[in-house]
Order: sequence, then structure tokens, then C-alpha cells
Amino acid sequence: MSTSSAYKMKQFDTKKAVFTIFTGLCKGCGLCIQKCPVNTLVWSDDLGVYGTPAVQPKDTDTCTGCGMCSVVCPDCAIVIERKK
Amino acid sequence: MSKVPNMPKSWRVETKPHKFCPGCGHGLVLKALGEAIDELNIQDRIVFGCDIGCSLLSWDFFNVDTVQTHHGRTTPVMTGIKRARPDRICIAYMGDGGGYAIGSQHLVNAASRNEKITLILANNCNYGMTGGQMAPTTLPGMKTETSPYGRDIEDTGYPTQGPEMVAAITQHKAYVARGTVANVRQLKNYIKKALQNQMDNNGFSFVEALAGCPTNWSTNAKDTWAFIEEEMPKYFKVGEIKTPAQKEENTNG
Ligand SMILES: Cc1ncc(C[n+]2csc(CCOP(=O)(O)OP(=O)(O)O)c2C)c(N)n1
Ligand code: SF4
Ligand code: SF4
Ligand code: SF4
Ligand SMILES: [Mg+2]
Repeated sequence: MSTSSAYKMKQFDTKKAVFTIFTGLCKGCGLCIQKCPVNTLVWSDDLGVYGTPAVQPKDTDTCTGCGMCSVVCPDCAIVIERKK
Repeated sequence: MSKVPNMPKSWRVETKPHKFCPGCGHGLVLKALGEAIDELNIQDRIVFGCDIGCSLLSWDFFNVDTVQTHHGRTTPVMTGIKRARPDRICIAYMGDGGGYAIGSQHLVNAASRNEKITLILANNCNYGMTGGQMAPTTLPGMKTETSPYGRDIEDTGYPTQGPEMVAAITQHKAYVARGTVANVRQLKNYIKKALQNQMDNNGFSFVEALAGCPTNWSTNAKDTWAFIEEEMPKYFKVGEIKTPAQKEENTNG
């Protein structure tokens, strides 16, 4: 699913949360991948702002919506909205 | 569903993505600082000073009055602004090279005089901007461009422990802490207390943040975290080192 904003972005509707990656901010550092407690983040086919792979959840089941990935992103490229 | 990134309100959105390398610790320190400014609701009172070194890449980072000045001299510049305009909340932001080598005299004298400013220092164990040379904070045995066989403490001594030094030379109303980008929430709370200490007109406040420099460390994300979380805290202990609430007899004041 893709929507428009000031930065290129992509959204993933997972069971527990809506995962938004602003590819226009993601520099592909990988810090978030390492910190995800359930190892659900993988490199994406979508490219980030420097032309390196951005990140995305590997499926729609695993993400718990904990928000750790967004906390450790130095570029504020991830937004997690937990579902009630 | 959200269409705007969740940046601190005090960040200047038009200048994002910011200029730091992928995975750079400066981004996380300034995220913690931005959140601290937002939570204290003091954006309109801040004067932000950045140094030479990669910290200068933040000259347009925040929507606040900003000064960029000579290497290590951000501390006296912010001291001057604070003395001229005591109603401002002045933040000097710099790297370990700026604070502990080239500008160490400024840090020592501002701390000794208990200047009512807040100094935030990103410690990445090297001179980042100039290509990764050895700094006062380079860990024993750590390889850099100018210590290719690893830092030899027989030749070059032990790394500078900045917060411990500042705690020893400040009066009892100072605030001194060491945080880490591995715990952004804790770092934000330390920075909030440091800013509050200035707002309370108490005295000098100082927060060092352990920060990554993946570009010069030549580390991937896994090794960047490992160095920050496992190697750096062996020598640089994370925690509050001095708080204004501590009793006077516990300090050198
Ligand atoms: C007086 C002076 N000496 C040396 C330099 C060259 N110089 C520019 S940046 C830098 C290193 C900065 O290292 P640090 O303060 O640790 O910041 P970092 O880039 O690691 O964040 C040096 C030595 C300078 N600009 N001015
Ligand atoms: S919200 Fe938590 S579980 Fe989901 S991708 Fe981010 S770190 Fe992983
Ligand atoms: S931490 Fe942020 S910039 Fe780095 S890969 Fe993850 S989303 Fe991209
Ligand atoms: S050289 Fe190091 S400190 Fe400078 S922006 Fe790059 S990662 Fe950050
Ligand atoms: Mg440095």
C-alpha cells in the first residue's frame, strides 16, 4: 500500500500495527533491523534516500508494534501505529 | 494512518533528511535533545551552538536560533550569549575532539566557573569529520587512522573521562551525566535534567552521549551496536555522575 506525503513512503498493514517507512528519509543504516526484538525487519526492494535498500516487515504477522525500530532510527524514518 | 514522520516538533523539517551519515550517533543525540526541548516546551528560548566536527552539520537542524563557531570554542561563545541574555537557554553541542582536546581549556574553565549553560558532547571515540583519527577518547587498543596497530596506552595514555573530570571540578549545583544512544529514553531524561538545571539557574550542566560513527569505525549495524553497548561502557560508565540534589559534602564544591 502506498500513499503520498512530503517524503516517499510505504505502509504495511500488519496484524498488530500499521508500519510506515518513509523511504525518503531512510538511509539504509540497518540499526532498526538489529534492534527489532522479533527479527521481523528485512531489506526491502524499495530504495531509500541514498539509493540503498530501505527496510520493511517480512510478513504481516510477526511485528508486535513495540516501536523499538522507530525509537532507534536516527532519521525518524519509521512510524508505528499500534492497533487497539 | 500516519502520513507525516514522527520528528520532534523542534526539528526543522525542511532540512531533513539531515546531513549525518547513515546510522550516525549525532542523529540520535539530537533526536533525544529535540524531544527534551519539546517536552520542556522551551523551543522559543533556546540558543543552540554547534562546533567544528560533524556536530556542525546541525547548523540548520532545529527551528531555534543557532550559532556555529570555531573548534572547541562553542563553550565560551554560549557562555557569552548566556551572560548577555540570561533569559535564553544556551546549549553548546560538540564532539569529543572539540570538547576534550582542542577545546578542553574552555570546558574546564566554564565548568570551574559553574557557567549556567548546558554542554552536550557526542563521544564517538575519534575525530569523525576529518577521517577517523585518534582522539583523547579512543579506547585502549582501538584502531584508528592514526593508531593503525591500536591505541597504545604506554605511548598515549588513557582515554579522557570527561563527565568524571567535570564532576570533580564543578560546584555542588552542577548536573553531570553520561548517556548513550543505545538508550535514547534515558539520554533524553538526562538532557531534560541538564536543561532544567540551567532553567533553575543552578549552574553548569553536562551530558556526554556515547555515540556511533559507523563510517570511520567501518562497522555494519550489528558491530556498531556491539561497540556502543559492549566496548564503550567498559571504559565509559553510563549513569548520572552528579546531581544538584546531592549533598554538598559529597562533592568538591
Ligand atoms: C583549531 C582546529 N584544529 C583542527 C581542526 C580540524 N578539525 C576539524 S573537525 C576535527 C575533528 C572533530 O572531531 P570531534 O570533535 O570528535 O567531532 P566528530 O566529527 O567526531 O563528531 C578537526 C581536528 C580545526 N577545524 N580547528
Ligand atoms: S514495531 Fe517492534 S516488532 Fe514491529 S518492526 Fe518495529 S521493532 Fe520490530
Ligand atoms: S534505522 Fe532508520 S534510516 Fe536506518 S535502516 Fe532503519 S529505517 Fe532506515
Ligand atoms: S563521519 Fe562519523 S560522526 Fe561524522 S556524520 Fe559520519 S558517522 Fe557521523
Ligand atoms: Mg568525535
